[in-house]
Amino acid sequence: MREFLKSTRFKVLLAFIAFLVGIMIYAVTKGGYSLSGASFINTITKPLRFVTNSISVKVETIIDRYENANFYYVQNKELQKKIGELNQKLADYEDLQAEVEELRKLAVIKEKHPDSTFSQPAEILGYIANDPFKSFTIDKGYADGIEPYCPVTTAEGIVGIVIEVSQYTATVRTILSPDLSIASVCSATNADFGITEGSVITAENNMTKLTHLNINHKIKKGNLIITSGSSGLFPKDYPIGTVKSLGVESNGLTAYAEIEPCVDISRLHSVFVITDFVGKKETDDEDKNSP
Amino acid sequence: MRIKTPREKRILYIKTIVRWILYISIIFISFTAMTIGTWKKPMLLVPVALCIAINNDTMLSAYTGALCGFLTDIACGRLFGYNAVLLTIFCTAVSLIYELYLRKKFFNYLWITAIVSFIQCWLDYKFYYEMWDYADVELIFTEYSFKIWIYTMISSVVIYLIFSIINKFLMPKEHLTIEEVIKSS
Repeated sequence: MREFLKSTRFKVLLAFIAFLVGIMIYAVTKGGYSLSGASFINTITKPLRFVTNSISVKVETIIDRYENANFYYVQNKELQKKIGELNQKLADYEDLQAEVEELRKLAVIKEKHPDSTFSQPAEILGYIANDPFKSFTIDKGYADGIEPYCPVTTAEGIVGIVIEVSQYTATVRTILSPDLSIASVCSATNADFGITEGSVITAENNMTKLTHLNINHKIKKGNLIITSGSSGLFPKDYPIGTVKSLGVESNGLTAYAEIEPCVDISRLHSVFVITDFVGKKETDDEDKNSP
Repeated sequence: MRIKTPREKRILYIKTIVRWILYISIIFISFTAMTIGTWKKPMLLVPVALCIAINNDTMLSAYTGALCGFLTDIACGRLFGYNAVLLTIFCTAVSLIYELYLRKKFFNYLWITAIVSFIQCWLDYKFYYEMWDYADVELIFTEYSFKIWIYTMISSVVIYLIFSIINKFLMPKEHLTIEEVIKSS
């Protein structure tokens, strides 16, 4: 031992330790930055460490997978259950959002027409098969206060009229049908009255027609046509559509206008039924039995 | 027909139930298909009712015709019972014609379906459009009734194939083959 303490090897060792301590103290003074030597080593060993690290991660993963398979299985089941619950919540949220959207539309219409009473939003159950005039069925019936000949609308404008009601469903005839006539007026001039009535030709293009116009009318393309409310069948001032083209009837006595409805009738999702409004014509029993 | 053993009777019973479940399923699938979208669709329930009428006795054909007719009325928004009456009459007549005169061949089915569906489309046009004297009403015949009839004819081929497969496996045989007679005796 004494020989070792007196040997050159011991002195060299002491010097090396002192050197290392010196480096350590120097490193402390660098305030968190690596020494240049350490940086150099780090740089050249980086790819190697990257490869070895990725290999070790993979190996660890494989081992972990087999070691903790049971735990992961249970965890997976729990997560699947949670996903199911979250999906259900998402579906509920989307339903709620759709409902809020419908109610928002209803609020808009109510604001415009405070004197009308509306049904709850009615979903479209389906269109009548092969009907050229796009009649459809809704999911509200007389259980929801809907009666025959109640007008049907959306926030954008008039859609049609209820023609048949069962307890929970109703059939709606649209403004494309020649069987539905609406007393109308041009909102711009407020003087040009006519009758909005569908036809076979205009229905092909999802359009309707304003007929019986005075030959000297002042309607222009793009004018909005609204309900005049004079028939008692439809409330006043509801938009029907905009004028697309004008012409004179073959008899030469009256003019007509082709109207593009405010609502795309072939792509409806929900509508509102106007159950009551100011100026509504009271239907007697005889009327109720005839369209 | 040879006398059936209890086991054969049981199999026949089960097959008949399964066959009718499939028939009813096809009827309701056809009804659903008829109520989807706003485009022109074939009157699927007419060939379906006829396919059933061809292979079954008169009373069952009449009931099926009535069911298909009621569903057609709902799908097409027609007076409830209008198509039911038509299809009951047609199905009964077709069932009788097949029982008495015709063999169960594809060609026979095709021309019978063509006639029946054309009459159905034509009557629909007459009663629901032409009678009310709309302007340019003939356009409805060319653009709707006729096209629907064509689509119905095209769809009837597929429907025939579906029913052929069902009947092949589930319909009791009316006649025995020579081999079967020898085997049973």
